[in-house]
Amino acid sequence: MIRIYRQLLIAQIQAAAQYRIQAVLWMLFSIIRPVIFLAAWTAVAAAQGGSVGAYTTSDFAAYYIALTIVGHLTTAWNSFEFEFEVRQGRLSPKLLRPLHPLHYSVVENLIWKVTTFLPLLLVCVVIALTFQVRWTGEWWHLALFVPSIVLAAALSFMIGWVVATSTFWLQRINTVNTLLQRTSFIFAGQIAPLSLMPTALQVVSYALPFAYVLAIPAEILRGGVTPERGLLYLAGQTVWLGLSIVAFQFAWRAGLREYSAVGA
Amino acid sequence: MYAVPPMDAPVVDVRALRKVYRVTERETGLAATFRSFVRRRYREVLAVDGITFHIDPGEVVGFLGPNGAGKTTTLKMLSGLLYPTSGEATVLGHVPWRREGSFLRGMTLLMGNRSQLVWDIPAADSFLVLKEIYAIPDAQYRSTLDELTGLLELQPLLHKPVRGLSLGERMKVEFAAGLLHSPGVAFLDEPTLGLDISMQGRIRRFVAEYNQRSGATILLTSHYMDDVVALCRRVIVIHHGVLLYDGALADLAERMAPYKRIGVTLRGTVGDLSTFGEVVSSNENTATIHVPRAQAGERTARLVRELGDQLADISVEDPPIEEVIDKVFASERPLAEATA
Repeated sequence: MIRIYRQLLIAQIQAAAQYRIQAVLWMLFSIIRPVIFLAAWTAVAAAQGGSVGAYTTSDFAAYYIALTIVGHLTTAWNSFEFEFEVRQGRLSPKLLRPLHPLHYSVVENLIWKVTTFLPLLLVCVVIALTFQVRWTGEWWHLALFVPSIVLAAALSFMIGWVVATSTFWLQRINTVNTLLQRTSFIFAGQIAPLSLMPTALQVVSYALPFAYVLAIPAEILRGGVTPERGLLYLAGQTVWLGLSIVAFQFAWRAGLREYSAVGA
Repeated sequence: MYAVPPMDAPVVDVRALRKVYRVTERETGLAATFRSFVRRRYREVLAVDGITFHIDPGEVVGFLGPNGAGKTTTLKMLSGLLYPTSGEATVLGHVPWRREGSFLRGMTLLMGNRSQLVWDIPAADSFLVLKEIYAIPDAQYRSTLDELTGLLELQPLLHKPVRGLSLGERMKVEFAAGLLHSPGVAFLDEPTLGLDISMQGRIRRFVAEYNQRSGATILLTSHYMDDVVALCRRVIVIHHGVLLYDGALADLAERMAPYKRIGVTLRGTVGDLSTFGEVVSSNENTATIHVPRAQAGERTARLVRELGDQLADISVEDPPIEEVIDKVFASERPLAEATA
């Protein structure tokens, strides 16, 4: 498998090299939303004497910069691509090979993140300087962040694949994707840090998987959690990842029975 | 080198294979569109209706039928892309739709109108990816690639991005990609579709040579009868999902066409020959007559006797294979029922 991944990575780097501008533009688009919320919340904090709840202007900036980095590292667009592949008949050649189609997505996803991470960090440094960010974390926050971001990226990827398999039944899944994005927008800590949301929304957020993809790794990176709570969050991420893998395997097996190989 | 089952077992074994598609249906117009939002109607389309056949190791079999006959659906089931509604099949001893790794490594499905290569990179780089996916040992990879490069004249194409290749060039590299892992079974669906005459000929020669060199079993669909005549001694004819004929190509006309074709050349002008059979064409001194197969000998003798010195030449032959197939395909109900 290592040899397969090595060769897929080489091929994907070659293919991605031809679309450099597009990759950087997508990366820049992903920054716009957190920056807007950062600007809004810092304005609110400034109007209220420098803080909202436990968040100072600097905390907001740290949170949204962390959220931008986490968002970049956990983004997964495989459900959009999967629908396109099914409709265009491009899934069939992959199904004919002794390698699960999921592996091609892993490589594409990794290459995009690696090739656009450096420019993203540069943009984040500029934002950090502009908003005078102060990082308040400890070394163990960074140690916790590593498994947390890996789990979050894997969870986001697997949720994407569960949604992708609905293409086998629905043919078009844009609405499913939109619903998922809107739900994530509310419950993943994009509008505000979870602790600033109404209690009921917080409860729902911790019960759904979306916060485990974005808000929780961002809070860990920002240094906003205790060690006990950080470990609890990792456990939550692991549970959701396990559930998403089981759901995917079930949906994939059932979906292949429905596959009509249209256009291929 | 090739994944083939024991010599006494068929490589492809199909029993009562059936596939029914469930498709949505609605009438045209805005009102019907709104009604379909509330109550969706479905229709069942029978694509393959209980076909049974088997193919032995090393055979090249032509799989014939008009558009919508069920050929591609059958190939998709045999390559593991589709689940059948009912029936059984094994390919290389595996049930295809279980999609086991050893099955996928032993077969290939090449579709003339579909690409399996990455468009943005040269074919040589895609081949390296396939080498690892199929776990092809280095020495085998080099020798197979050399062989395919020679047979298909690939050398000038290997390092160009696939998107820059012409249709014919792309088909050649698609062939190489599909055969790099030396499959024991190759399903070829319209492999010469859209190619010019010269490229069609090259692909045909390649398939024949590949079959001889590798011993691979090949099931081929094509609308070009030249492909079938050049490559297949055996054909399977399918129409409306029903298997109509399975046997030697040479015997197809005898089974499917109830007539023979008598060609006559006269020393003078052609007169009325309708008493000998159905005159299907005639000009100044030549004519073609269709006569019932069983009476071909008697009608020929009568022509010789009655035309006497007027007759310059006479030939009796089966109708061309294209004509036979065309008549079968044009029939609305399966010929097997019609002739039963």
